[in-house]
Formats: sequence, C-alpha cells, structure tokens
Amino acid sequence: MNKTTALSFLIAAALLVAGCSSSESPSDGQATPSVTTVDPSDMQDQQAPPDRLVVDVKIQGGNVTPTNAQLKAGVNEPIVFNVDSDAADELHVHSNPEHSYKIEAKAGQSFQFTVAVPGKVDVELHDLNKTVATITVQ
Amino acid sequence: MNADGSVSVLAHGLGGSADLPIPFTYALIGAAWALTFTFAVVALAWKQPRFDPEKPGRELPPWVTAAADAPVTRWAVGIVGLALTVWVGVAAFLGPQNADNPLPGVFYVLMWVGLVAASLLFGPVWRALSPVRTVHRLLGSKSLRSYPEALGYWPAALGLFAFVWLELASPDPGSLAAIRNWLLIYLVVTLAGAFVCGARWCARADPFEVYGIVVSRLSALRRNCDGRIAIGNPFDHLPTLPVRPGIVAVLSVLLGSTAFDSFSARPQWRTFIDETAGSAAAATLINTAGLLVFAGVVALTFWSAARATGGVDREQRRLLPGQMAHSLVPIVVGYVFAHYLTYLIERGQQTVYLLLSMDADVNYFLSLHPSVLATLKVGFVVAGHVAGVVAAHDRALRLLPKAHQLTGQLAMMLVMVGYTFTGLYLLFGG
Repeated sequence: MNKTTALSFLIAAALLVAGCSSSESPSDGQATPSVTTVDPSDMQDQQAPPDRLVVDVKIQGGNVTPTNAQLKAGVNEPIVFNVDSDAADELHVHSNPEHSYKIEAKAGQSFQFTVAVPGKVDVELHDLNKTVATITVQ
Repeated sequence: MNADGSVSVLAHGLGGSADLPIPFTYALIGAAWALTFTFAVVALAWKQPRFDPEKPGRELPPWVTAAADAPVTRWAVGIVGLALTVWVGVAAFLGPQNADNPLPGVFYVLMWVGLVAASLLFGPVWRALSPVRTVHRLLGSKSLRSYPEALGYWPAALGLFAFVWLELASPDPGSLAAIRNWLLIYLVVTLAGAFVCGARWCARADPFEVYGIVVSRLSALRRNCDGRIAIGNPFDHLPTLPVRPGIVAVLSVLLGSTAFDSFSARPQWRTFIDETAGSAAAATLINTAGLLVFAGVVALTFWSAARATGGVDREQRRLLPGQMAHSLVPIVVGYVFAHYLTYLIERGQQTVYLLLSMDADVNYFLSLHPSVLATLKVGFVVAGHVAGVVAAHDRALRLLPKAHQLTGQLAMMLVMVGYTFTGLYLLFGG
C-alpha cells in the first residue's frame, strides 16, 4: 500500500516536472522573434528605467534649496548631486557605507554615488547642518 | 571635522541609513491582529487569574546556580566589565576622533539596545557587569546612609530621560565630546550615590541597571524563592516587577522616547523644526519639549487607564497604576526590538569591528531583505502587544472586584491598542 502511494506520488511529480518543462520549451525553440507591430526604437523610451537620480542643489548665503526633499532611487542606481555653492561645505551621504564630499565655493560641482543597501539615506550639508534630501532606496 | 571631535549631526549619532518604512499592508495586518487578539482576550479568555509570581519555575541543575553565584564568577564578570569600561574609555579619549571611534556605537547600540537583548536572555546582567558596582566593592562596599525609599525609581527615570535626551534632542548626538561628558557625569553621579547610599543606589538609581531589571522580568530565566536559577513561564515572572515610586515614569520614558525617535525622523517634523527654530538651541528646546510630551502622554494615558475602574476605594485606586506597570514591559520590549533590530545587528557588528580594530565587512542581511525585516518588526510589535494585553488581563482579574472585571479592563485595553496602532503607524511612516 505504502509503496504504491509513493510510486503514484513519484509519477505525479514526474508528470508535473515534465509539464513545467514542456510549457517552457517553446520560448527556447524560438530563435527569431515573432511578428512585431511596434518599431523597437519607439519602445525604448517607454521601457528604459530611469537610469539615474539627479538632484540640483543651490547653496547661497547660507540658504539651501532644496531641504528635506523626499526622493526615491533604486538599489545600485547612480545618484548624482549637482551643487552650485557660494561657500565651502561638506556633503555627507548617510548610507552604508557612508560617503563624504568636499564642496567648494563654485558652481557646477557634481558628485555621483550608488547605494547598495536598501534604506532611507539622509544627504546632509555638514557645516550648514541642513538635510538636503532623504532618499528612499529600495 | 570639527575641533571638538564632533562627527556630524546624525540620527542616533551613528550615521548610516535608516530602515525603510514598513509597507502599508503589513501595518494593517498587524493592527488587525492586535485588535482581534485584544478583544478575544478580554471577552473570551480565562476568568480566573492564572499567572502567579510565587509559582516556582523548573529548576536548572544546582551547579548552574552555584557557578553563577560563586564569588569567583562575580568578581571575574565584574572585572571584565571594568576592563571593558577602561578599554572604551581609552578608545574614547585616545582613539581616532572621527566616525571610526567606537564610542557612539558602544553607547547607543551595545549599551542601549544590546542591554535589552542580554537582559531578556540572561536576566539582569548589568548588575554583574556594572563598573560602578565593581569599584564600589573593590573599595570595601562602604556607605554613609541607606537609600531614601521614597525616591524609588525616580532617579533612574531621570537618568533614562537624560540618555534619550542626548540621543534624540541634544544639538549633536554624535559628538564624541558630548557622549564622553554624559558618561563622565553618569559615572560620577552613580559612584557618589553608591558611596553615600550603598549598592542599593545602583539597583534603584542607575538608569542602565533599572532598564535591565525591568526587561529581565520578561525573561524565561529567573530565580525561585529559594534563590535557585530556574526556567519558567515569563508571564509568571512579569508580575515580580518591583512596584516602587517612579516605575510608571521609567516605562513611559522608554516607550515614549522610542515613539519620538520614529516621529522626529518624519520629514514634516524636520521641516517644522527648520522653519520654526532659528538656532540649534531653539531646535533642542523644541525636541526636548517633544520628547517630554511623548513620555508624558504615555504616562498620563497609562496612569488614567489603570485607575479607570469601578468598585475600588481611593487607596486601592492610587495603587493600581504601579500594580499594572509590569504589563507595559512586553510592549516596550516589542517596540524597542521592532525599532532598533537593524541597529543592534548591523551597527552592533560595525561597533565590535571598530572596537577590535578589525577590518571586516558588516553583514547587511536584514536591510537587504526588507520584507523579512518588515515582517519581524510587525511581529515584534504585535507579540509585545498581545503579551501586554494578556498580562494586564490576568492582573486585572486578580486586582479588580468581580463585578467590574470586564469594564475595568476596557480603558487599559483601548490604551494598549492605541500604543500599538501609533507604533505601527510610525513604523509605516504615515
């Protein structure tokens, strides 16, 4: 009795596995794509993920824009901070591990980093003691 | 880096990223479970008190108690605690005066959250490790007078508030100088107290020891009446929490500050602080007020709910908040773990590596699996809530007159549901 039950289970399992593999096999066999109705070059805009997050920061006379901005980014997605500043400061990125960049008193500075561990990452100006943005990385 | 050794203004003074908010559905499911359980317990559960602090636990072999109580063990653990203190002290003053200094991690992670985990597993470990107790014993355990009993746990409540104030309201929680000063004041006050009032000062007024004692009541490990170490139902252990003046304040500071930690990280609060406070001092004042309000609301709601019953006289009503206080312990512990789990595990690793000057990589398993983390967090909050409700229900059956046992519990149950919903709401991020 036990043996037959085990056997029927085995057969059922084998059939299931076979069923799965057979349903997948057509995609393997198709070497050429089937009829396309959309020109591939049109699709790219739609399908390309936002490849990086760009944040423009202005520091003028002790005022920062933006502050406490709530942003989202993906894990390992490049994040770029473009900074125009009239004073030297430090940009601290509180991710794991942390990043720190020296800001000079000039326009058009750019810092890029990625965040590998999901979490809420504060980006702060050290000397002004202001949070520029909190980036939710998931 | 600044000359005073400040690192940066960080949440918890530790840097690194904060946890992702838990998904809305998780918060909702957790809240639904908490609510269902609460009313199931009140309406359907046992009608006779079941948990008895006198009930002995299952005794462990005699050598366990003998080994734990041996003077050699006590001295060895005490000396280890003292050596660790000296080590951290040396690192604090002579180590790198930047983010590579282990002091903030030791202070905010190992002492604050690690103490909870250790006390939950092994009982009140701070009593054995406390450097102040060891120094006091090394110098002959002298005292000038006895501890004024009327003070109760109030000095510890103040000390705990001083800790959370430094972490959540002070201008620069990550500043090594600020942490060093805090710890020096703590050492001076506790040592002076121990030499004036004896070791009882440590048991009543040392914030870390009182925190450890409170949490240890949820531990399965306990001592029977004869002193033997035993393992038993934590619900029998919980009601042994000593009821002394200030115990509700201690628990309110712990729960309120953890909630304020979530709350103050919200962008709305930060923007409010930036717009309202013109200076760092004003920001500190507003945060201090916020912290006081959070602890005060917890204390007031709990105190009122414990007293909201019929059929007791004035004197009994006055005693009720203290007699119910132990039921807050699981809620505090559940919320602390939900809130600080990644801190304990991930920053804990980082701190140990810094302390040992090791160059190892931190394992970010929890942060890399946000759904596992969110499930654990909701699980801790709901488990703490259910345990709190069960403990409160059982104690109410023992304390309240028969005719008021159902209605007398209602206010407390609603307040606990309120704590849990607020906790989940804050974890979910609003």
